[in-house]
Amino acid sequence: MQSPVSWALLGLVIERPSYAYELAQRFDRTYEGALSLSSTSHVYTALGTLTSRGLIEEVAGSRTGRQPKPRYRATAKGLEDYREWLVRQLAEDRRRQRLFVLQLAALTRDPEAALATLDRYEKACLQEAGGTPLNGANGVPADEASGLAARLLCEESRLAMGAKLEWTQYARAQLKSLASARALGR
Amino acid sequence: MTLLALEHVGKRYVDGPHERPLLNDVSLDLAPGELAAVWGLRRSGRSTLLRVAAGIERPDTGVVRFDGRDLVDHGEDVLGEGIGYVQKALRGAEAQSVLEEVMVCLLARGISRAAAHARACTALERTGSAQCAALAPRQLDKAESVRVALARTLVLSPRVLVVDEPVNGVDLHERDGILLLLRSLADEGVAVLASTGQSTGLSGADRALALSDGELRGSPSQQLAPVLALRRSA
Repeated sequence: MQSPVSWALLGLVIERPSYAYELAQRFDRTYEGALSLSSTSHVYTALGTLTSRGLIEEVAGSRTGRQPKPRYRATAKGLEDYREWLVRQLAEDRRRQRLFVLQLAALTRDPEAALATLDRYEKACLQEAGGTPLNGANGVPADEASGLAARLLCEESRLAMGAKLEWTQYARAQLKSLASARALGR
Repeated sequence: MTLLALEHVGKRYVDGPHERPLLNDVSLDLAPGELAAVWGLRRSGRSTLLRVAAGIERPDTGVVRFDGRDLVDHGEDVLGEGIGYVQKALRGAEAQSVLEEVMVCLLARGISRAAAHARACTALERTGSAQCAALAPRQLDKAESVRVALARTLVLSPRVLVVDEPVNGVDLHERDGILLLLRSLADEGVAVLASTGQSTGLSGADRALALSDGELRGSPSQQLAPVLALRRSA
């Protein structure tokens, strides 16, 4: 299963069994700015996929009342696959970062241009680092389990940005050496 | 309005025949209510930058101004009430208690003991370290010692607060509390300049800057400040 929307939806079902409409609302709230649904019907399609793969199932007896609507919960297989998928994301992050570095390396024919690009990249990292909210600030509860995802997200963003900033220092030193060597060779 | 301005500041580290540029044509301005944080690797010169900004060290070239006045001529006048400098940890704390330690600079300025006591208590309260008042400075943990060091500086009500490495060595669970304290001081109108060796210490800053090879990168001028302020209030 490749669709990030399906995996994200599975995460919501694992967190709390829900109806499709409720899931659509929780999806928008939880993944705002990170992932979006093309339409509400997107949820129904993804739920169909998750059900057919045995990752979620209808809660028995939830299709009752005048307007029966099924409530979904995760299966043991769904929970296990979700955990494995989360760990695989590390490789995906690594691939994306590797791609960026290789693309930057394409500019090394002109080290000055690469340095200018690096400066802009560093500036973007700094803005991101400064803009990351603090735990305990508005919208990021310092306690209670409900704020856990927000706290983990903050810390992950901050540490990831730190690694990028340190990398820019190394890359700049390397590019400056290259520029000096080329200047001497002329 | 700029309260603190570094204009084309240069500073070299000299150790016998060895010389190393620490600050190279660095410019930075800071307005009231603004929090700027400078990140850098070890030996990047971030502590030197802060000492120069506070008027404790003179720049080799360039000018540092507080409220328009050159610190070379007026440094001693403004240190304390104008610019409060908080060095790493609570160095030089020799008083028997934290309360005494915070009071001492007020007493040295001829303020009565009763008034100094009241102001010190307020400063300790403000920095969340009132419970440390009766302790000896050596009994404080790292986060408490940072809070008390801030109280010792805030007791003089500076308009600019220069804080060297406020979260260095501070427990992860205490770190954001200290950053939030700096943020709240800025929100009250104090101009805050802080340094950090960990990028996590940049969070909450209006302007996050990086110092390397003597160059200050990011947005050292206030051009982005209004945008960031709007974002913060949204």
